[in-house]
Amino acid sequence: MKYAAAAVIAWFVAVANVSGLAYISVLGVTPDFVLIFACCWAVVRSEEEALIVVPLCGLMRDLAGSDPTGTAIIGFAPIVLLASFAHTRVIESDFPPAIGAVAGGTLIFLVFQSLVLGATGHDIAVWHLIRSVIVPSVIVNALFTPIIYLPVRWFSPPRPLAMQGGRRLTATLTSRS
Amino acid sequence: MRLIWWLATVGAVGLISIFLSEQGALVPVRNVHLTISSPVEGVLRDAADPLEDIYTSITDRGSLVRENEELRAQLEELEAQLAEQQGNEQTITELEQALGVRTRRPDDQLLAARVVAQDVSGQKRMIAIDRGTDDGLDEGMVVMSGAGSLVGTVTAAYEGYSWVRLITDPDSSVNAQVNTGVAQPRPVATPEVITGGGSPTPSPTPSPAPDGEPGATAIRGVLKGDLRPVVLLDLLPPDADIESSDLVVTSGLGGNYPPGILIGAVKSVQQRPESAFAKASVEPAAKLASLDTVLVLINFIPARLESP
Repeated sequence: MKYAAAAVIAWFVAVANVSGLAYISVLGVTPDFVLIFACCWAVVRSEEEALIVVPLCGLMRDLAGSDPTGTAIIGFAPIVLLASFAHTRVIESDFPPAIGAVAGGTLIFLVFQSLVLGATGHDIAVWHLIRSVIVPSVIVNALFTPIIYLPVRWFSPPRPLAMQGGRRLTATLTSRS
Repeated sequence: MRLIWWLATVGAVGLISIFLSEQGALVPVRNVHLTISSPVEGVLRDAADPLEDIYTSITDRGSLVRENEELRAQLEELEAQLAEQQGNEQTITELEQALGVRTRRPDDQLLAARVVAQDVSGQKRMIAIDRGTDDGLDEGMVVMSGAGSLVGTVTAAYEGYSWVRLITDPDSSVNAQVNTGVAQPRPVATPEVITGGGSPTPSPTPSPAPDGEPGATAIRGVLKGDLRPVVLLDLLPPDADIESSDLVVTSGLGGNYPPGILIGAVKSVQQRPESAFAKASVEPAAKLASLDTVLVLINFIPARLESP
């Protein structure tokens, strides 16, 4: 059920991204809400879910866009690895890791996408790509993360602490009788 | 270990999908998806229009003010030239009739299409329109704005949906010419277009100033996009006498575009002594960032599609 819901949401976000939200342009680029959604889901929820949902998001993005189908399926895959760092729970909140995953995921995806486009016969202007696409996209996607992160966080159960006995440090010292 | 296997599987599936996609084997899948998503995209785009207007008015306020000032200045200049042009127009019409020459193309058939989506990756400049092979569209067909200036070409045509590569896309290359010494484009006839079903009806397309107009010369080059709002006209003669606001039109060379479609106006010229060619920045006449409706020239078969 949760995977069906994730697929429907990813599809809707992908379709909205290329139609209704395509006019949003900050620093000359449009935020990639599908990628942000995939990152937030992967960070906030479990790795088992990320293994299914992230490729689904990639598929939806490919179908809604003009890239060859499969580009985002592969390009989004590193998001799962980035999210796995977040699951080590170095810090309590999921939000900074989500921002990091979005920024890293955007960078990796755009580099992979340009490789695919180059391999399929498209012209790639490397300097322009870095200056006008990759750097602004990393910043803009990170800035738009809260819009997707908050709903994903609200509809997700709180993650149990990874360290056994971690609560003991903050627990009250009253003895149980 | 599980992650490694997962990555290998996703990588293999993705690569196979890319290969199949490039071979056209996934067209049915895209058709099914587009059949479902097209109505939703249309609704979302309509719903976003008011928000888009607000957003654009906020973000583009500075440029709108500048553009308004420039347009006022141009309007004043053009009004002064209009009286003279009207006399010339009559002379040209009489000469055309006398010589039996048709500078316009009354047999052109245009199909109106709505823009329903656009590529947001930042690495391409493409839009999606709600017309496809069912409406007679094919790859390579020329797409124009509602006012008749060049927008791009169809690069992928599905059943009810097509992707159009804009002239600002890095892969776009158009043989173009600069009409120097022409103060103003000839009056553009409002095209009669097909908006619903049924067979197309003949309609005129706009034509720029003809090469034969007194004082006008055509300087040919190749127009290339590079993701910026302006396009680059390259391979111009190093001593080309080009000035800002000279009109740029398709030259028709190569047979992929009909000649005489307005592309835009020269914004700046780069002529360096050490360079073998001059370059010019061209501002497209069509508002490519905010297209709602476009016209597809469906009876012009580009050279690349013609059978040998």
